[in-house]
Amino acid sequence: MLPDFASVSPETKADALAYLASLDDVRVIAGGTDLLVNMKRGELCSNVVDIMNIEELRLLSGDGTDIAIGPAITHAAISAAAMLNDLAGSLSAACGWIGSPQIRNMGTIGGNLANASPAADLIPPLLIHDTVLKIESQEGKREERLDDFIVAPYETSLKPHELLTWVCIKGLPGYREGYRRIARRAAWAISRLSVAWAVREDGDRFVDVKLAIGSCTPMPFRPRNVEKFLGGRKKDDHTIGEAAALVVEEIRRITGDRPSFAYKLPVVKGLVQKALRG
Amino acid sequence: MYIGNEMNRIDALDKVLGRPVYAEDLSAKGALFGCIFRSTRPHAFIRRIDTRAAMASPGIVKVLSCHDIPGENLFGIIKKDQPYLAQDRVRCIGEPVLIVLGETEEAARKALQLIEVEYEDAEVVSDPFLSEDSTALIHDKGNLLSRRKVIKGDIEKGFKEADVIVEHTYSTSWLDHAFMETESGVGYPDSKGRIVVISSTQNIHYKQKEISRLLAVPEEKIKVVQATTGGGFGGKLDVTVEGFIALSVHHTRRPVVMRFTREESFLSNTKRHPLYIEYKTGARKDGIITAVKVGITGDTGPFASYGETVCLRAALHATGPYEVPNVHVDSRMFYTNNPVSGAMRGFGIPQLAFAHESQMDEVALMLKMDPFDIRMMNALKKGSLTATSQVLQNSVGIIETLRKVEPYWRKRSKKEDRAGFGLGCMYYGIGNTGVSNPANACLNITGDGKIALHTGACEIGQGSDTTLVQILQETLGLKIEDIVLVRGDTDTSKDAGSSSASRQTYISGGAVFDAALKMRQYLDEKGFYKGRPIREIYASEADKKLLEHNGFFDPPTTPVDPETSKGSPYATYAFATHMTEVEVEPETGCCTVKRVYAAHDVGRAINLKNVRGQIYGGIAMGVGFALMEEFVPGKSESFDNYYMPTSMDMPDVEVFVVEDREPTGPFGAKGVGEPALIPQAASIVNAIKDATGVRPFELPCHIERLKMLLEKAKG
Amino acid sequence: MKIVSFALNGKKVSCEVQDRELLLHALRERFSIKSVKEGCGIGECGTCTVLIDNEPHYSCLTLASKVDGHDVKTVEYLGDAGLLHPLQKAFIEAGAVQCGYCTPGMLLSAYSLLMKNENPSDSEIREAISGNLCRCTGYIQIVEAIRDAAGLCKCKP
Ligand SMILES: Cc1cc2nc3c(=O)[nH]c(=O)nc-3n(C[C@H](O)[C@H](O)[C@H](O)COP(=O)(O)OP(=O)(O)OC[C@H]3O[C@@H](n4cnc5c(N)ncnc54)[C@H](O)[C@@H]3O)c2cc1C
Ligand code: FES
Ligand code: FES
Repeated sequence: MLPDFASVSPETKADALAYLASLDDVRVIAGGTDLLVNMKRGELCSNVVDIMNIEELRLLSGDGTDIAIGPAITHAAISAAAMLNDLAGSLSAACGWIGSPQIRNMGTIGGNLANASPAADLIPPLLIHDTVLKIESQEGKREERLDDFIVAPYETSLKPHELLTWVCIKGLPGYREGYRRIARRAAWAISRLSVAWAVREDGDRFVDVKLAIGSCTPMPFRPRNVEKFLGGRKKDDHTIGEAAALVVEEIRRITGDRPSFAYKLPVVKGLVQKALRG
Repeated sequence: MYIGNEMNRIDALDKVLGRPVYAEDLSAKGALFGCIFRSTRPHAFIRRIDTRAAMASPGIVKVLSCHDIPGENLFGIIKKDQPYLAQDRVRCIGEPVLIVLGETEEAARKALQLIEVEYEDAEVVSDPFLSEDSTALIHDKGNLLSRRKVIKGDIEKGFKEADVIVEHTYSTSWLDHAFMETESGVGYPDSKGRIVVISSTQNIHYKQKEISRLLAVPEEKIKVVQATTGGGFGGKLDVTVEGFIALSVHHTRRPVVMRFTREESFLSNTKRHPLYIEYKTGARKDGIITAVKVGITGDTGPFASYGETVCLRAALHATGPYEVPNVHVDSRMFYTNNPVSGAMRGFGIPQLAFAHESQMDEVALMLKMDPFDIRMMNALKKGSLTATSQVLQNSVGIIETLRKVEPYWRKRSKKEDRAGFGLGCMYYGIGNTGVSNPANACLNITGDGKIALHTGACEIGQGSDTTLVQILQETLGLKIEDIVLVRGDTDTSKDAGSSSASRQTYISGGAVFDAALKMRQYLDEKGFYKGRPIREIYASEADKKLLEHNGFFDPPTTPVDPETSKGSPYATYAFATHMTEVEVEPETGCCTVKRVYAAHDVGRAINLKNVRGQIYGGIAMGVGFALMEEFVPGKSESFDNYYMPTSMDMPDVEVFVVEDREPTGPFGAKGVGEPALIPQAASIVNAIKDATGVRPFELPCHIERLKMLLEKAKG
Repeated sequence: MKIVSFALNGKKVSCEVQDRELLLHALRERFSIKSVKEGCGIGECGTCTVLIDNEPHYSCLTLASKVDGHDVKTVEYLGDAGLLHPLQKAFIEAGAVQCGYCTPGMLLSAYSLLMKNENPSDSEIREAISGNLCRCTGYIQIVEAIRDAAGLCKCKP
């Protein structure tokens, strides 16, 4: 049973922004798969603005490598989109793993980002695609890099009257991409840890490598020092081993030590190596 | 003709149409909703309860406490030591303290938030090993609930004769039944002044008795009906909502609905007992087991529930399906302030199978023997003496089940390094342990020319309705259209005992068979088998009493000796062998169960489809037990942090049914409900060892645990 | 309160719901469709599964107001006793039903799969029902049933 609230379902972005500006104690609801669970567990709000009827928030457009994804697009729709399969394979893969078929039909990319869970599956792939978020309110528009958008676990820079309107990513043609998540069961489970990668190689050399690690640090992150280290290096066991060790060092640097690291760090090491080897 | 075939379940049509009425689907005009205020402390004295704000909250009709109980405030299947509503102290988190009755669910749940209780914390016993000597007494007579021993032969001599000795400790955690339908029920006063309770349950007559004690009214004043039940697995054997509902109806004389949320179900339902098992095995060079010594320590939480049963059953089955000449088992069950543990599919034996099957493999390894051969060599056979010195006379199919999987075992080959194969064997005594546990069944001829079967056996999804009807059809040679099933109602049936201990096919089936034989003779005398219609027989019978035939079956057992457990506690045993293939990813600790070959001696498969269904379901639960399921008190609140297998975690399965007929069973049948689960986790653990070289001693062996074991082994 | 109008099992319906009302409760209480079950209420069991525009959704996490203008199907859509859908028949024949509590949701996930894929592989079937827990059956006979039905039916919207 949900606590009491009033809801509106605008059909245009402008109306949604107007509601967000005028209503008190208001929350956006997209798929509701995070918000309603939280509300069932005690979170309260007086008003919700349902954005799922807004056509312009469900568009997908792209020219070459610049792709704009509407925040209200569901995981199922993303994983079925051919363009994203080609240019953002890690994102498609992650969308295919989230929750269950039902969750993928309900949950949205915008909700996943705005909820900002350390275990959110879409954040690592979006990080390696240099995602920039477009945010609007009645007062104006702003843009923010995904790295800056998430400020703490479950906390973003979004203000209550703001709406995420576009998720803009850079497609990565010519990269070998992937996403691997580890969970306690084969489906419908939250990631214990995850790795997204995009690797461009030339023969036996790494040309450009992008990595992102989820569920190990308070916020998923890119070990940019490791990416830099790999750029141009020979693809051999030695380099790969060293890179994996550097990733682990970076996680430790960010988070210190945690009991769960006894498990997570060796696994991350193994997965990074696997990803780099291909 | 009717049994042994693939007859469709008689309840399946309704169920695929979404039509069956579960307790939550019932609504009664003007019903109140009841919910429970529960303890947030593991052990504390209640100093003050303030319900004024709750009472003043809109839509609240009544708040009931232990002082409102007219009869006995204690219930329990064996030992009555569990209060419905806490008296002066609470002994675990989640223990019920008050019932709040509101006009709506929302009103009642809101009012719960307004109740204030002042506690004075008491010393908490959270470790069964410290429980015995703790000064904090959970019950006046001490914290040891039960201690059972199994003594056979001379254990010292047995170990002296051994060439190798293997000794390890195994432990398991709490598990939740996780039936898909939570506990729920509806109650109302009927026109005869009785209280009727309709609920999701595994046993109606037991609940009727408990309610009559609770309200201090004769049993005839209470009627219990089983609604369609969405799974039980042991978790709906104890009184769940029924007592609260009856008490609420008693006080309000209004219909009352109750339904636990999933969170409440996790918090309050009994769990599988975590067992700590110290296991020592001695064997000769040639593979013959000479001695087994086992120490079992269990944690039942603050109330007995089925703790004594688990303590005893675990002990009796500790040696597995093997003939062991020298046995010493010491099994102890302690009270703690942890969650209440109770009956869950297998009563402690899945835990023991994990231990004895791991031991078998370790002994084989030391002797450089094939794990299959050592099992074959020691397996029970006709004439064998069990650990309780019972001579097995009939239906001992363990060797046959081993033979079924043998070709696959011999042919096994690792396509990949990370693959592994494991065996698990088990035996399981059908029915309750060393006590009378009869079932009744009644048949009568109805005016419209049908045979009505009245049974108190509860269909909880396992298929007992269909099985019992098939037994009746086979005995009478009747088509399904000629039979009416009337079940799950204390008004219309006599006690059939609980749907537990894999006993309904064997025992209720036996009672139906008994009644059917009498009915057959009657029908024969009346010319039915020469073509006279039943309707006519009914019409011509002057004394309608003669149209009724009662059946009864109580399996022949003897009580076990209190010191040594010598005796014949079960009339028959089921046997099984599972062979499992896994794949382990060493980088991550992910273990995938690829394939299972499951061979079961069920005596006789009354319905093959149901038997297979039980086996598949048992395997799924075994996968969960081995790899992912773990109830962590305070953390596991719902399915988001209690994982059980999905369709994608399930292996491919091949089932083999062995039918070594049991002479006392209906058409030779025994049981399969629990046996299906028992050897599965064990065979997974052995397969993990085969794949990786490391052996898990603690379940579940989830990804983290397995990875840590692999890391440790790397050094 | 809000008026929502939608197609329920092929029929146009319309009713007043609270803003915070969940589709699960609207179906159970306002339309007496009790085949939609609440096994957990937080999207973790699948017993509340319904089809919205022919795709499975958890009705326990769907506001009733969201289905305005959409198509909602529950197991009642599939067939009735006289005219079972091939999937329902296959569930009965394969022994895919035990306690039955997961069955309506399971059937709907299967139905949605067969609408999109007339000849699914076993792993596609397993994936399609991976958002529906079943504690009784171990899924094997459910997968068998869906495979058996796949050849027999055209699950057209
Ligand atoms: C059973 C279950 C399984 C799950 N499994 C996974 C999983 O495996 N991996 C995973 O990453 N997540 C998982 N989740 C979490 C959740 O489904 C995802 O995070 C999903 O993407 C959230 O999207 P939504 O549209 O449902 O968000 P909502 O619940 O609608 O919203 C979430 C938050 O985002 C805000 N919001 C949404 N859209 C916007 C917008 N455009 N502008 C501003 N704010 C916005 C909301 O106000 C709210 O605070 C699971 C959830 C459930 C219930
Ligand atoms: S009720 Fe469990 S998923 Fe909706
Ligand atoms: S049949 Fe019981 S949960 Fe699926």
